[in-house]
Amino acid sequence: MSTDTARSTPSPSKDHVVCLVGMPNSGKTTLMNALTGGNFKTANYAGVTVSLLRGRSKPEYGTPRNIVDLPGVHSSVAPSPEEELAVEVIEGRHSKVKPDAFILVVDATQLERHLKFGGLVGRQGKPTVIALTMVDLLDRTGQSVNALKLSNALGIPVIPVDPRTGRGVKELFASLDGLSGMLWMGNALSEVSSEPVVAFKQVQDLLRRSGAVTRTAQPDSLTSRIDRFVLHRYLGFPVFFLVLISLFAAIFWLAQPFMDMIDGAFTFAASSVTSLAPESVLVRFLGDGVIAGVGAVAVFFPQIMILFFLMTLLEDSGYLARGATLVDRPLSYLGLHGRSFVPMLSGFACAIPAVFAARAIPARRERLLTIWILPLMSCSARLPVYALLLAAVLSGAAWQAGIALAAIYISSLLIGSLVAGVTARIFMKHRQPSLLAMELPAYRVPRWWPILRMTWARGSAYLKRAGVPIMIVSAVLWIISNFGYVPGAPIAATPMDQSFASELGQKIEPVLRPMGADWRVGVGLISAFAAREVFVSSLAIVFGVDTDDEQTQQEGLLKQMRTATFADTGQKIFTPASIIGLIVFFFFSLQCFSTVAVVRKEMNSWKLAGLQLLFYTGLGYTLAVVTVQSLRALGVA
Amino acid sequence: MDPPVARPLTDVGLNRNVRIERLDGPHQDCARLLDLGFTPGEEISVTQWAPLGDPLVVRVRGALLALRKREAAWILVE
Repeated sequence: MSTDTARSTPSPSKDHVVCLVGMPNSGKTTLMNALTGGNFKTANYAGVTVSLLRGRSKPEYGTPRNIVDLPGVHSSVAPSPEEELAVEVIEGRHSKVKPDAFILVVDATQLERHLKFGGLVGRQGKPTVIALTMVDLLDRTGQSVNALKLSNALGIPVIPVDPRTGRGVKELFASLDGLSGMLWMGNALSEVSSEPVVAFKQVQDLLRRSGAVTRTAQPDSLTSRIDRFVLHRYLGFPVFFLVLISLFAAIFWLAQPFMDMIDGAFTFAASSVTSLAPESVLVRFLGDGVIAGVGAVAVFFPQIMILFFLMTLLEDSGYLARGATLVDRPLSYLGLHGRSFVPMLSGFACAIPAVFAARAIPARRERLLTIWILPLMSCSARLPVYALLLAAVLSGAAWQAGIALAAIYISSLLIGSLVAGVTARIFMKHRQPSLLAMELPAYRVPRWWPILRMTWARGSAYLKRAGVPIMIVSAVLWIISNFGYVPGAPIAATPMDQSFASELGQKIEPVLRPMGADWRVGVGLISAFAAREVFVSSLAIVFGVDTDDEQTQQEGLLKQMRTATFADTGQKIFTPASIIGLIVFFFFSLQCFSTVAVVRKEMNSWKLAGLQLLFYTGLGYTLAVVTVQSLRALGVA
Repeated sequence: MDPPVARPLTDVGLNRNVRIERLDGPHQDCARLLDLGFTPGEEISVTQWAPLGDPLVVRVRGALLALRKREAAWILVE
């Protein structure tokens, strides 16, 4: 794993840094892609959970420069954390990123709004060039913009670019070279007021005088036509659900072969290590602990990459904002934001990318509330657990398990909504809902290369930020499952039933009894904190399932589960009541230290992460006990 | 002749160009609306209502912005 500045030159403050600035949807990130040839990384700075994109310009554009793509700024009034950071950098108040020059990205179809924002940049008195994007959309709005006239009126070079094809990018850089040598003189942008009413008037006057824009803009006909369809009173939701279903299908079915491949590769690697090297604790730690532990999480990587890819695709095409518009009403009723549907949906794959996806929610309160309920979304690590437990409780046909599983998924969405609504009404009622005011960008045919590049940037950021906690957690859990106190030696490698984990399991057995579980199930529950599906493999270990013969691990485990009894009473452990109790426990409990670690990092505090861990795990336990006891009272064993 | 009475943007029909008279709502939110381009005198129009009747899509200065009904009601038009 490399750090973000590994390839580029030392600390950003010593370097010449060109900042890409602009409003959201101005094509900034696509331009970043074109400038750097896709050679950029996300960078995080201490104390800030906002990622910047850093890269170096391609040599063919002249002297390579360090480029930082700042988050898009919609408005500097009541800003989101992203907007706040961008404004801080632009105004030169950021301690690490000091811009030497700006590339102001301006949407040619929205000159007034974008140039008004440009006033903030112009007032900094730093060399600035304007990259005029979306020029190809001018055909749709029936306008034409004369870049030369605009440039003359502003006193700033204006270069029309199409970052999607690379047209104009070289000229943009050449004009920047010409500027940085000379003293930066006053320009029209620097005179734009910081007071919006005055600023818009100034920009309007300037545009009128310049004669750069012919004709007033007509509504973009293609965008209006598509919107009439996707926001249609009757068709809007069917289209939206179709998109969601396709997303789910891709995440689960398309990813499956890749997941099997990765699973196979890690199993092979782990068994090769343990069988080839001479048997020792270190070898087992490497094989069963590290490799298998990383493998347990790596299997989700294809799902997460597909998720990132499809989300970027939807975002780029312009549909995501429409989807958010459709569902904003029910979501804002729950105290969430239209855009919350993206992290919630991602949560069905894995809570960790979902936490990252919550950054798309501009409002703090709504972002916090969304992250709060994400652990309830039925992530795919729960799937193997549910599959095992449902197979154990439903002896009937596969369709029964299918229906039960669908019910679990739908309930997780409904209960998540309920928790959000209750939390918003009881604990956040003093906080006003934030403004929606969400831009619906013009529809564009997506370009594959920038999307793939962005997917990779997001995927590798995920690996970097989530990979380390996951590895640490799985290593620690392996150690406590394989080491224990042995008379004579204080700590030694032991079989699992004598390990620290089993000791811990036996200590908590009194707590587990009310939910119908013994210490062995407890060991499974503890080890599941590495990743929920580890529950299945550790149960197999503690119940001594022999996987050498033809049967699969699950079949062997099911056989063992049917006969397993409590050591003292001799009663069966896995009864319908106790199995349903376990399902309830997994449904609510935040059994994932990686999620806890990622939320802590994202919020830069233990408060929310710790609260989630205690609340959801406590809730899961309480409801599991209530379920088991009431089922028994009703006569279900 | 009496000056036309200002009415909230939510009362305006689809695709009718109307001129903003003033904003009347929470200070911070109106400041952000101003910053986004909803300044008095500017011509805007409602291009669409979401299927559930909220939010609505408003065209302002060449951009399409989705506003919730309560936010749009702060925008008083002539």
